[in-house]
Amino acid sequence: MQGAAVPMPAPAAARAGKGLSERVLNALYILTFATVLLLVLVPLSALIYGSFRTSAPGSPGEWTLQNYANLASGGVVTTVWTTLWIGLVSAAICIVIGTALALVIHRTDFRHKSLMTALIGLAFYFPSFIVAMAWIILGAPGGIINAIVGDLLGLDFLRTDIYSALGIVYVTVLHQVPFVYLTVRGPIIGMDATYEEAALAAGARPATVIRRVTLPLLAYSIASSFILVFILTIEQFAIPALIGIPGQVNMLATQLYLLCRFSPVDYGLAAAIGLALSAITGAAIWAQRRVTRAGRLTTITGKAGRVKPIPLGRWKWAANLFCFGFIFLALLLPMLILLYTSVLRWFTANPFNGMYTLRNYAFIWESGSTLRSFWNTLLVSGVGAVFGVLLGLMCAYFTLRVRPKGHRWLDFVTVLPFGVPGIVLGLGLLWAYAFLPLPLYGTIAVIIIAFVTRFLPYATETVGGQMVQVDRSLEEAAWVSGANRLRAALRIMLPIISPSIQSAYFLLFMAFFREISSAILLYSANTQVISISIWAFFEQANWGLASALSVVATLIIFGSLVVIGRLAPAGRRF
Amino acid sequence: MGISVSRLSKAYGTVLAVNEISFEIGDGEFVSLLGPSGCGKTTTLRCIAGLEDATGGEIRIGERLVSAPAQNLLVPAHERQIGMVFQSYAVWPHMTVRDNVGFPLSVRGMGAAQARTEVEDALRVVGLAELAGRHPSQLSGGQQQRVALARAIVGSPRVLLFDEPLSNLDAKLREGMRGEIRRLQRRLGIAAVYVTHDREEALSMSDRVIVMDHGRIVQIGTPQDLYRRPASRFVADFVGKVTFVALHRDDAAGPWLCPDGTPIALASTAQGGTRALAAIRPEDIRVQPGEPAGDAAADGANRFAGTIAEAHYTGPVTEYLIEAAGGVIRTHAQIDLEPGARVTLSIPPDRIVLLPPD
Repeated sequence: MQGAAVPMPAPAAARAGKGLSERVLNALYILTFATVLLLVLVPLSALIYGSFRTSAPGSPGEWTLQNYANLASGGVVTTVWTTLWIGLVSAAICIVIGTALALVIHRTDFRHKSLMTALIGLAFYFPSFIVAMAWIILGAPGGIINAIVGDLLGLDFLRTDIYSALGIVYVTVLHQVPFVYLTVRGPIIGMDATYEEAALAAGARPATVIRRVTLPLLAYSIASSFILVFILTIEQFAIPALIGIPGQVNMLATQLYLLCRFSPVDYGLAAAIGLALSAITGAAIWAQRRVTRAGRLTTITGKAGRVKPIPLGRWKWAANLFCFGFIFLALLLPMLILLYTSVLRWFTANPFNGMYTLRNYAFIWESGSTLRSFWNTLLVSGVGAVFGVLLGLMCAYFTLRVRPKGHRWLDFVTVLPFGVPGIVLGLGLLWAYAFLPLPLYGTIAVIIIAFVTRFLPYATETVGGQMVQVDRSLEEAAWVSGANRLRAALRIMLPIISPSIQSAYFLLFMAFFREISSAILLYSANTQVISISIWAFFEQANWGLASALSVVATLIIFGSLVVIGRLAPAGRRF
Repeated sequence: MGISVSRLSKAYGTVLAVNEISFEIGDGEFVSLLGPSGCGKTTTLRCIAGLEDATGGEIRIGERLVSAPAQNLLVPAHERQIGMVFQSYAVWPHMTVRDNVGFPLSVRGMGAAQARTEVEDALRVVGLAELAGRHPSQLSGGQQQRVALARAIVGSPRVLLFDEPLSNLDAKLREGMRGEIRRLQRRLGIAAVYVTHDREEALSMSDRVIVMDHGRIVQIGTPQDLYRRPASRFVADFVGKVTFVALHRDDAAGPWLCPDGTPIALASTAQGGTRALAAIRPEDIRVQPGEPAGDAAADGANRFAGTIAEAHYTGPVTEYLIEAAGGVIRTHAQIDLEPGARVTLSIPPDRIVLLPPD
C-alpha cells in the first residue's frame, strides 16, 4: 500500500525455497506410501503365501493346494453357514431395534432425548468382550439367571444356556445396536423436513408419514448400515470366542483361532479360511459402497428443517420401556454384574451368600503382569494412536489434495484393511514375522503395527472427511499470498482440520484400547494389553479378576469420553 | 507492468479448456473475462495465477516470464506476487481478520511492526479497521469479501486477479462492491483481470472486456464496442438483450429484405452475400400506437407496422414482444399498450448491426 514495497524474494532464493518445500513433500509422500504398503501388503501376501503351505510359519514345508480343498470339508462349510446366518440374523435384529430407537428418540416428543443419546454413546464404546463376559455370568448353565429361575423359583423350563448360536446373536445385538443407531441418526436428523411436511399436507397421519415417506427415504442408509453390521458381526472375534467355543458353535473367526491354538494345529487351513472370510467381508464392503453411492442422489439435502415431533400420547410408557430397557440390558445390567462379581471372593449367584472382598482390585496393583499390561496399553493406545493418526493424515492429504503420481494406488491400499478381519490380520502378521529378518515377533511393536494397520482406514476417513469439506481456495489463497505448499499445508490446512485430527486420535485410542481380535494371535506374556489380560483371566475362569479389570477398563473408557466431550467444543470454535 | 498472454493453452487430457488465446493487459488497466460457464475464463485466470499449470503458450507478468511450459518454466503461485480474490472469499476461518490480511506479509518475511501498519492501512481502505480482531465467522458475507480484498492488495501485488468475487453476494451489496473494487484498483494503478459471467458487471467495471466461448476469445473491446458493435451473434446475445432478424436479398448489390419481404435500410454495407442477420437492441426501437402514417419517415428511420403479442411491465419500462416484419421483435417502451394493439416501430438504420448469417 501507498508504495510501501514488500521485499521481493530474490529469484535464486525463491527457487531454492520452492525446491525445498517440494522436496520435503515428495519425501513425505514416498515415506507414507512405503509405510502403508509395508503395513498392508506384508501381512496380506504372507497370508496368501501361508495358504499354499503345508507347515506352520517358520517351519520347513511344501507347496500345496490342500488348504483350499479343505475349505470344502464338512466342518468348514458348516462354519461358513453358521457365520452367515448369525451375521444376517444379528444384522436384521440390530437394524430393527436401532432404527426404532433413532425414530423414537429423534422423531417423537420422547422426553429423555439427551440422556438417551448419551447412554447409547456409552453403550457404543462398551467393549464387546465385557458385555459377553457379563452375559455369560448371567446366562451360563451355572449362572445367575438359572440360579433364579431354576433353583429359586423352580421354573426349570426357563433355564437358559448362553453357550449357543442364539447366545452369540443375543449379545451381538446388544453390542451392535448402538452402531446402527449412530449410523441412521445422522440421516434421520439431516433429512429435509419438507418431504415429511409435504406428506402431512397431503393428508397423511404421522404414523403413515413414517411408514410411507420417512422409512423409504432412509432405505439406503438403512441398507448400508445393515451391511456394515453384517460385516462387523462376521468378523468379530471376542463374542463368538467367549460364547461359541464352550458351546461348540464355530464362526470363521473362531475356527481360524482354534486351528492356530489347539491341536490339530493347521496354519495353512487357517490362512485359507482367513482369505475366505476376507473375501466375504470384501464383497460386503463393495456392496455397501455401491449402496451408499446410489443413495447419495436421493436422500439428504444440507438444510435440516425441524419437523414437528410426533406426540407419543398414551404410548409414552412403551417408548420409555423400549429405550431404557435396551440400555438396561446392554449397559447397566452388565456393569452391575461385573461390579458384583469383582467384589466376590468366590462366585455365587446369591448375593446374600457372597463373601465380599476387594482383593481382586488389590491384585491389579500388586501383580506385576497386570501393571505391565496397563503400561503396555498406555503405550499401544496412547502412542500407537499418534502413529495411526499421523499416517492417516498423510494418506488423506496426499490422496485428496496433493494427488501426486500413484495416489490412486495409495488410496486403494489404504482402504484394504477395511476388508480384513482383525484375527486374519493377526494371522498374516504371524506368518510375515516368522520370515522377515526383523526382531518384531513377540514385541509390543508388532501389536502396534497390527492395530495401526487395522484402524488406518478409520483415521484416514475421519481426517479426510473434514479435509474434503475445506474449500480448495483456502489453500490456493495462501499460495497466491506467497506461501509455498508445505507452509500452506501447515499454516492453513492443519489448523482448520485440527478438530478431525483430535477426533481421529480418540477414535483410534478407544479402538486400540478395546481391540482383541488382531492381538490374540500375536501377544506374549510380556506384551499383554488390558483387553487381552481380561480375556485371559476370564478364560482361566478367574471371573473375579476379569471383572475387576473390566470395571477399571470401563472407567478409563468412560473417563476418556468425558475428556473428549470437554475438548470437542473447543475444536469447533469456527 | 502488465500482463501478456500469448497462445495460452490448457488441456485436460484431450479436452482443450483454453485454446491458444492471446491478449495484453496494460498497466492500470481493468479487463474482464466474460463468458458462459465452461468457456475457459476461470481456467485462464488460474493459469495466470499459477494455480493451474498451462500446457502451452507463454504468460508474462510485468517483465517476468512466469509460464512457458515449452521451456519447462512454470513459476509456482507463491512466487508470482499477485493479489487474488476468490469466489468463495477463501478467508481463513481459524485466523482473525488482522491475521488473514497480514498473512501475505508474514510469509514474505516482513517485520511485525511494518506489517502491522500495512495491515491497518489495508483494513482502513476497505472500511474494516474496527473489525480487525474478529474471526471470519463473526462477519457478514460482504465483510468477508472485504477481508479477501484487503488481503489481495496488502502485499503490493504486481497484478490483481478476481475470480467471480461478487457472485455470492446479494444484488444490492454487489453493486456497491463493484465501485469499490474499481476505486481500489485505480488507486493501486496495477493491471487487473476480472472473471465474471455477469454482463452488467463486466460492462460497468471494465476498461476492456474479453468475451470467451469454448476456450477461445470471440471478441475483445471496450464495453461500448461490445454492446454497440458486436462481432457475432454470440457476443450480441451474451452482452445484452437483442432481437435478431434474418435478412435476405436477391443479389449481392440489392436492398436487404426482412423475412416478410419488407425492405430494411442499413447504415452499414460491409456484409456481402445474400443472407445476413440484423441485431437490434430493444432500446433502439421506438414504439408508437397506431398504423404508420405517411409514406416515408422524415428522419430516415425504418418503419414497420406491428401487433403487440406480449407485454411485461417491469417498472421503468414495459417490455413488448411485437409481431412485425415477419418475426417477433423485442422492444422497451414507457407507454402503456395492451396485447393485440396495433403499433408502429421506428428503427434508425445506424442502430442496426449487420452480422454474418448463422
